[in-house]
Amino acid sequence: MIDAVAAEWWKLRSVRSTRWTLSVAGAFVLVLMLVAAQEARIWDGLTAREREDLPLRPLQVMGPWVASLCLAVLGALSATSEYRSGTIATSLIAVPHRGRLVAAKAVVVAAVGLTAGEAVAFASCLGPRLVIGGRSFVDQEGSVLHDLPAFAVEGAAVAVFALLGLALGLLTRSAAGAITAVVLLWHVLPLLVFHLPEPWNARAGSVMLSGLASEISGAGAGESIYGGVLPAPAAAAVMLAYALVPLAAAAFAFTRRDA
Amino acid sequence: MCGGARSGEGGRVIEVRELTKRYGRTVAVDRLSFVVRPGAVTGFLGPNGAGKSTTMRVLLGLDAASSGEALVNGRRYASLRRPMLEVGALLDAGAVHAGRKAFDHLGWLARGNGIGTRRVAEVLERVGLAGVARKRVGGFSLGMRQRLGIAAALLGDPGVLVFDEPVNGLDPDGVRWIRELMRALAAEGRTVLISSHLMSEMELTADRLVVIGRGRLIADTSVQELADRFGRGVRVRSPRPDELTRVLVTAGGTVESANGTAGGGRVAGSPESGGLVVSGLEAKAIGEHAAAHGIPLYEVTPRNASLEEAYMELTARGAEFGAAS
Repeated sequence: MIDAVAAEWWKLRSVRSTRWTLSVAGAFVLVLMLVAAQEARIWDGLTAREREDLPLRPLQVMGPWVASLCLAVLGALSATSEYRSGTIATSLIAVPHRGRLVAAKAVVVAAVGLTAGEAVAFASCLGPRLVIGGRSFVDQEGSVLHDLPAFAVEGAAVAVFALLGLALGLLTRSAAGAITAVVLLWHVLPLLVFHLPEPWNARAGSVMLSGLASEISGAGAGESIYGGVLPAPAAAAVMLAYALVPLAAAAFAFTRRDA
Repeated sequence: MCGGARSGEGGRVIEVRELTKRYGRTVAVDRLSFVVRPGAVTGFLGPNGAGKSTTMRVLLGLDAASSGEALVNGRRYASLRRPMLEVGALLDAGAVHAGRKAFDHLGWLARGNGIGTRRVAEVLERVGLAGVARKRVGGFSLGMRQRLGIAAALLGDPGVLVFDEPVNGLDPDGVRWIRELMRALAAEGRTVLISSHLMSEMELTADRLVVIGRGRLIADTSVQELADRFGRGVRVRSPRPDELTRVLVTAGGTVESANGTAGGGRVAGSPESGGLVVSGLEAKAIGEHAAAHGIPLYEVTPRNASLEEAYMELTARGAEFGAAS
């Protein structure tokens, strides 16, 4: 198993698409800091009362949100590029045990997703805070240590998206199909669900993957399109299910069909 | 090198037993059985679509058999823990990620089977790609990709090697390089199975032949046996073919007209063409019999067996031949 994981890691790091998807996720943090600088200037011109309505957090959580999409693409490509190039046969000749091959891919994609997700989440928390300096934004009065756990959960959600991308890639065997499905789950479906009649919009909105991290950390749905009816443990279980159920389905299909 | 003999206890043998593979209602391989042994190059021949690649895919665990089995060293490929140390395979040289460098392509394969990077450099050297190890595979010619695929097959220094159409699309130098490599690998005591749809190529490369058509075994034989069995004979031209035919048939030969119509005695060979193909008698004996009866001969040419013809005849007929051996 260690050999198979090491091989998958070598595969992933030796293609350019990995560097590109990770670079986009990282570069977006810089974009956030530029926007934070602009918000800081706006904040300076507001009255004390108006400042109550300008929180920084929506900007901060956009970092892991965009990273989720990038890492889901990375996860999908780690499977679909093998089908496109035909190296899936070579991979199976090297590691013929199919369950082991899927597991090795999942370990590598999850590890990369978690590392990148946490890095982006913390940078998205700290970067804008540095930019605003001493300005006491309404939601930035707590210490950094108080805020970080919530961002750690946002970072973990990135790994879930990466695994979801891998599973969809294995199931569809097509980058276009897998990435389209990811985008649907990432943002399109939550928008549709938001327009369901009451109370179904809040109920369905509470199990949308992009909103689960806020529910787990207790930050709440706030003004977002997501619902917030799930208690934290239930939200955590749903998030885990997003990672594992599609992956199990993909492994099931992968072990039963001809390569 | 990673050490000498590396094969498992099963002993470097490929065994295909009653293998059947169906895709929906199409039967790609139909109750196919054969054994490939070490120390020789075995050509796996058949027209396009005969089931060669499918058999190899099942052998390597890529496709599941509908029934029957294909074993390497007595085991199913998928049950081998570090399969590349026992079996080297090249199915499709084009199946490489264009953005990956040659060294990385072999690197991950090696890593997956616990093979060190020094061995990667060695096989790149052996196939003549050491100079482009750090180049992306996307820029490689077909010949270079073929060499890279062969390097991958050699990584684990395996006792059994399986190549699917390794000379397809190669220039003459490349073809000769592969031929010599295959012969060298067999001479080292390895089991080498190469598929091809070209008998002319296998004639030069293989010692044994497994011929299939429409998924079924047609022949499992040595190249020599096939040559002996088909197309042997002496081509004779004479202005008195009928008389000559009578003489030779009496002497124990079998005579056919050169244009193919069979005959144990009656041949309508005109003096202009006058061509006969005599089997069962040597050129020397034919000359002596003709001289004894005063029949002039214009031509006496021992015909070298054309395996190509034998192959065409075999695959056209589709019947089983020599399968019991």
